[in-house]
Amino acid sequence: MPSGSDPFLPLLAEISEVRDLTPDIKLFKLNLREGRIDYRPGQFAIISAFGVGEAPFTFASLPEEGLEFAIRKMGTVTSALHDLGPGDLVGIRGPYGNAFPLEEYKGKDIIIIGGGIGIAPLRPLIHWFIKRKGDYGDLLIIYGARTPRDFAFSHEFEDWARGARLELAIDPPGAPEWKGRVALVPAVVKELKPSPRGSIAITCGPPIMIHYVIQELKALGFSPGQIVTTLEAKMKCGMGKCMRCNVGNKYVCKDGPVFTVEQISQLLEEF
Amino acid sequence: MKFLSNGNLRGWLESLMGMGSLIAPVDLEPGLTLFSQVRDPGEVNLEYEITPIPPKDLFFPSSEALFRFSPSRGYEIPRIEGETFLLGVHPCDALGIRLMDFPFLSPPADPRYEERRRRTTIIGLGCVKARPECFCTSFGIGPLDPSNADAFLVPVPGGFLVEAKTGKGARALASAKLEEASIPIPKPPEVSAIDVEAVRKVALSLFDSPYWGRLADRCLSCKVCAYVCPSCYCFDIRDYPTRDGAERVRSWDSCQSPLFTRQASGYDPRQTKASRLRNRFYHKFSYFPDEFGAFGCTGCGRCVRYCPVNIDIRETLSAILRGEARIA
Amino acid sequence: MIEEIRAKAADLLRSGEVKCFIGYERASDGLTARPFFAYSADEADRLIFDGTCVHNLARYLPDMRGKRVGILAKPCDSRSINVLIREGQVEREEVYIVGVVCDGVYRTTWGKPSLELQPRCLYCSKRTPVVYDYLIGQPPPAPESRHPASISEVEALERKPAAERWEFWRSHFARCIRCNACRQICPACYCPQCFSDQLDPLWTGIRIGLPQNWVWNVGRALHLAGRCVDCEECQRACPMGIPLAILNRKLASRVKELFGFEAGMDPRAPFPFATFENEEEIL
Repeated sequence: MPSGSDPFLPLLAEISEVRDLTPDIKLFKLNLREGRIDYRPGQFAIISAFGVGEAPFTFASLPEEGLEFAIRKMGTVTSALHDLGPGDLVGIRGPYGNAFPLEEYKGKDIIIIGGGIGIAPLRPLIHWFIKRKGDYGDLLIIYGARTPRDFAFSHEFEDWARGARLELAIDPPGAPEWKGRVALVPAVVKELKPSPRGSIAITCGPPIMIHYVIQELKALGFSPGQIVTTLEAKMKCGMGKCMRCNVGNKYVCKDGPVFTVEQISQLLEEF
Repeated sequence: MKFLSNGNLRGWLESLMGMGSLIAPVDLEPGLTLFSQVRDPGEVNLEYEITPIPPKDLFFPSSEALFRFSPSRGYEIPRIEGETFLLGVHPCDALGIRLMDFPFLSPPADPRYEERRRRTTIIGLGCVKARPECFCTSFGIGPLDPSNADAFLVPVPGGFLVEAKTGKGARALASAKLEEASIPIPKPPEVSAIDVEAVRKVALSLFDSPYWGRLADRCLSCKVCAYVCPSCYCFDIRDYPTRDGAERVRSWDSCQSPLFTRQASGYDPRQTKASRLRNRFYHKFSYFPDEFGAFGCTGCGRCVRYCPVNIDIRETLSAILRGEARIA
Repeated sequence: MIEEIRAKAADLLRSGEVKCFIGYERASDGLTARPFFAYSADEADRLIFDGTCVHNLARYLPDMRGKRVGILAKPCDSRSINVLIREGQVEREEVYIVGVVCDGVYRTTWGKPSLELQPRCLYCSKRTPVVYDYLIGQPPPAPESRHPASISEVEALERKPAAERWEFWRSHFARCIRCNACRQICPACYCPQCFSDQLDPLWTGIRIGLPQNWVWNVGRALHLAGRCVDCEECQRACPMGIPLAILNRKLASRVKELFGFEAGMDPRAPFPFATFENEEEIL
């Protein structure tokens, strides 16, 4: 039954490919059995592990690249998904949420700042900006993870580095094979001093990282309207009905997950 | 309005039972009345004071299977059939149903809720006595307010004054033996109103007040307030495994539960009782009105009566009106 | 009595011996009571104590770890405090217990005056707190029980045939809405993750209704066996009028029969269900 008539019914999709990105993150490629999902980067889908439950995941690819989701094993649903492989059936409903207003970013320098699994919603943006280099200014990617093995999409780093300036960091120290930077992501922002002039900064990662990245960007002169983030929340319905994901009077599932810092500063509660 | 005598009440109820399910207040025990399926019209208690649970579970069941799924059979969705007559709904509870229409019917609408609403005729019942916890008049309704019901009964000596408000209500009353009314509509009991518009205007300025922490000291983080509330509708969705697939269940939940916003990582943006209590209050008196143009409260007072530690929403409203971080 | 309670609480707060004093104040109906947390000597003036003070305030202690608190404790509440101390949830040194001799508490409902004693108080023999730092009231002369011959609701139910007892509980649990008021108000229910919230393994899950409600209510009763002090707060908190106290009382009486153990009476007595002996006396 198409999810159009009953919004709680997922479309059926088969897992066509599973790829280990890190010890606890897998990339799932899905083929819809029926129907279609038209989405834009920034939005998310709710994926079912039938028999266990559902959870929200941002689209980690551009629509033309197929449906891909980077899923970190954290709780019961993600653990159940990690037990599935090619050929297995999952449910998917969406798209939900708002998208990055990519038209508005045209002509601007883009700074993408990710931490850990937070790179997932940023990856389709990276692909987009690299493909449409002419429409946008310079692209700087700052990406931090705990250890070198925890970089998701490291197999794409070469491509990214060709289309952008890629700056990686791990923290805490302790990986002897790593010859690169050891620092927390906010410290990398501080070190690199991206200019706010004609720029947009887009960040995603653990809430505490987002908090400090915003601080550093503001210190560099970025205005709240120039800093964009995408928030996570515990969700169930994804449609603003179950009242689980509201941060003050904003629903992460409907008014977000993409928010500018200007919008976040008006949020009454913690996110 | 017409008049339905007590003598003719039974015959009407029997005819409703012939047309569909009759759900009405029934005493399960002395002092415990619940909206229940009526098996004998004699069971119906239209003099009831309050039911712990409002009739919201007729439209939004405490638990329901959204669907069953198996790879071999695909989706199986429970059918919603038959007609229901919901009798004896006080104005606060009728308003509660109307308020729940906002989240459940706004796109994308929940077809289950929609279907149940379509198949149910709401027969309201006026209140001749107010309870000490009532404050329904704060929300544009009153003890004898017939809006939000398809038909309405006002208790008077010897029977009820009745009127149909909608086509559905007229159809339900068609089988009642009605007479001309010679009794005037009684004066409604006094119910004091709280100026909730004024509360809404100043509420946000007290968002960070230590008031919430003091109030939350005694809060148990149970789910009573949300479950007894006619206009609370938080829910959870989870699968139960079946032999060859899954049953996806939607159940009531409450934003007061300590686990409500806890993410799988353990991170929780609302870790404290104060933040959860505050969220419930602001949702009802600020966010819901922002979104839907109506307060998310009906003034039924159930949360006041049933909160085991007497967190009284009217005290909070007054505290905000006084602009104080008044100690709870 | 009230003046003495207020004075004592004010003293403890003024001297800084406690950061907070947990007692009771008048509820919004002007008739019943509600828990009150006083943080200053001035606020101690709001404290009250009478037969409407039914809440078992020990319930708040595990959340106050790390802070010195004062607490007003009736005999049942004091037994709960003993249970919590014995189970490592409360540090004895962190609590200043103002015990109060109890004449029984009323069946209270918000908005309704009541001078009817709770049935359990009719046959209660424990009218003096079992642990305290300061005692308010005179311990009554023995025998302590007011109506030692009263027949409890447990005995009345026990006399019924099995099929009737089954239907009694089935019809009650059918209307349980899993609001968890019983759990949240209970001092002995402090598990950071309750079995009913666990999804892996799945005990009750989220479904509200039978049979999950059996698992919930019977499961909780079993977890309370030997730990419940019969404060009856679970029953009072239940919005659906489920007589939970009868079940808990039944299990408590079985524990007493089998192990000679009553919750919270002796802080050094080994727990029947948390004690392992190589040579078990009772199997």
